[in-house]
Amino acid sequence: MARPHIEPFCDRDVNFKNMLLPGFGRGMGYKMLSLDNDTGACSMTVQFDGGYSQAPGFSWSELEMIVIEGELQVGARKVRKGHYFFVPAGYALPALSSTGGAQVLMMYNTGEPSHVEATEHHPLSQVDLYHDIDSYMDIPWAVGNVTKPSVASGCMIKLLNYNPISHAMTFLYCMTPNFYQDNISYHDCAEESYHLWGTSWMMQFGDLPSGGYFWRPAYINHGAFASEFGCIALGRTDSKLFNHFHYNPWTTPVENRARSAARIYQRDPLLYRWMMSKDHNHPHSPQDFEQTMARRGPDYDHAAAAVSDGKEHHHWHGHHHRHDGDHDHSHSHEHGHRHD
Amino acid sequence: MTFKNLFIEHRRTPEAQAWIDEEVAAQEQRFQTIEKQMRDLAPQREIWYREFFDRISTIGFNADGDDKVRIKPEDLPVQPEGRRDRVVWKHGTDTD
Ligand SMILES: [Fe+2]
Repeated sequence: MARPHIEPFCDRDVNFKNMLLPGFGRGMGYKMLSLDNDTGACSMTVQFDGGYSQAPGFSWSELEMIVIEGELQVGARKVRKGHYFFVPAGYALPALSSTGGAQVLMMYNTGEPSHVEATEHHPLSQVDLYHDIDSYMDIPWAVGNVTKPSVASGCMIKLLNYNPISHAMTFLYCMTPNFYQDNISYHDCAEESYHLWGTSWMMQFGDLPSGGYFWRPAYINHGAFASEFGCIALGRTDSKLFNHFHYNPWTTPVENRARSAARIYQRDPLLYRWMMSKDHNHPHSPQDFEQTMARRGPDYDHAAAAVSDGKEHHHWHGHHHRHDGDHDHSHSHEHGHRHD
Repeated sequence: MTFKNLFIEHRRTPEAQAWIDEEVAAQEQRFQTIEKQMRDLAPQREIWYREFFDRISTIGFNADGDDKVRIKPEDLPVQPEGRRDRVVWKHGTDTD
């Protein structure tokens, strides 16, 4: 049953355990932050000891990583703290090693940690989705209003990964010293955070220090918010982040969810009525025609179907100067409205 | 995080299943500890709630970004009769 609510937790309060799953080799310690009971998907603080090395290979699960401390050799490249990786399932990473040791936040999103030695990607891997970046040096801070209503100024973000379908996000966020935001928030999505450095405070859970962590299922109240000396953290959501702000600390997740639905009803009444009234209690989600419609496919004769080079515009009502022969300005007015 | 089904079907080894089972048990322990800590924090939280009500009714409630709205004291909520203060919800809306 998904991941339980783990909040607050601090990885400094527990010891590293040896990673004994096959493929990871010796010298890899981990602290479990949260785990999905069924799929084995999990987030861990990982310690690679000095001299650690891992053969090239892929995971059966999608993986995200950010270097917390130290240096990591990834193939021919040396990456440092703040370096972020989005690694699709089946994507073969080059050999990974650390001379002086490193700490890395590792998030296996769709299955338990696994490492299969390979120098080629799995044929089913969506390799185009791979990306990595030095998030500390190569991305500027942006104001935190990725969603509206938004956080108070002083909370800024760097977007690291965005899913255009679910709107799920991975991002760095920081709070300036003396940040505060006086509201209670909840979301329609799960939210996760790991404090890379610094302390922030929430009215429900108290202080979250360096190494502090939470995995929070949807609709759970959090906030007001404050940070006396500032903090920097990695945050994630598993679908669209919308800030439902309010000031009642005693509401339950069920009441919060009802309020979310009420707000859809107030904002999109037609859609809401359709969703509630139609007999579509089938186990699957409503159909998105963009995912199911018939498409031409690779064998279609595109050339035969084409009527222009893509630059002719029959809907433009301009004067089409026909240049037949020597400047014979016949000024034929083409008003060809093609509605076929 | 994605949900793009970036997962490749494979057979989970008994080793991996044993690891998951062990971690699930450890997580349950962690959860119990956290839940108790958060229950124990209730008296402190009560003070924090009152301070929050003082701030949003004097300085203002952050309605959107830095836009603040002062909440009239008579509009502040009261704790429903018989409902204990609770902040940890194991499975969100599916919590017992
Ligand atoms: Fe949040």
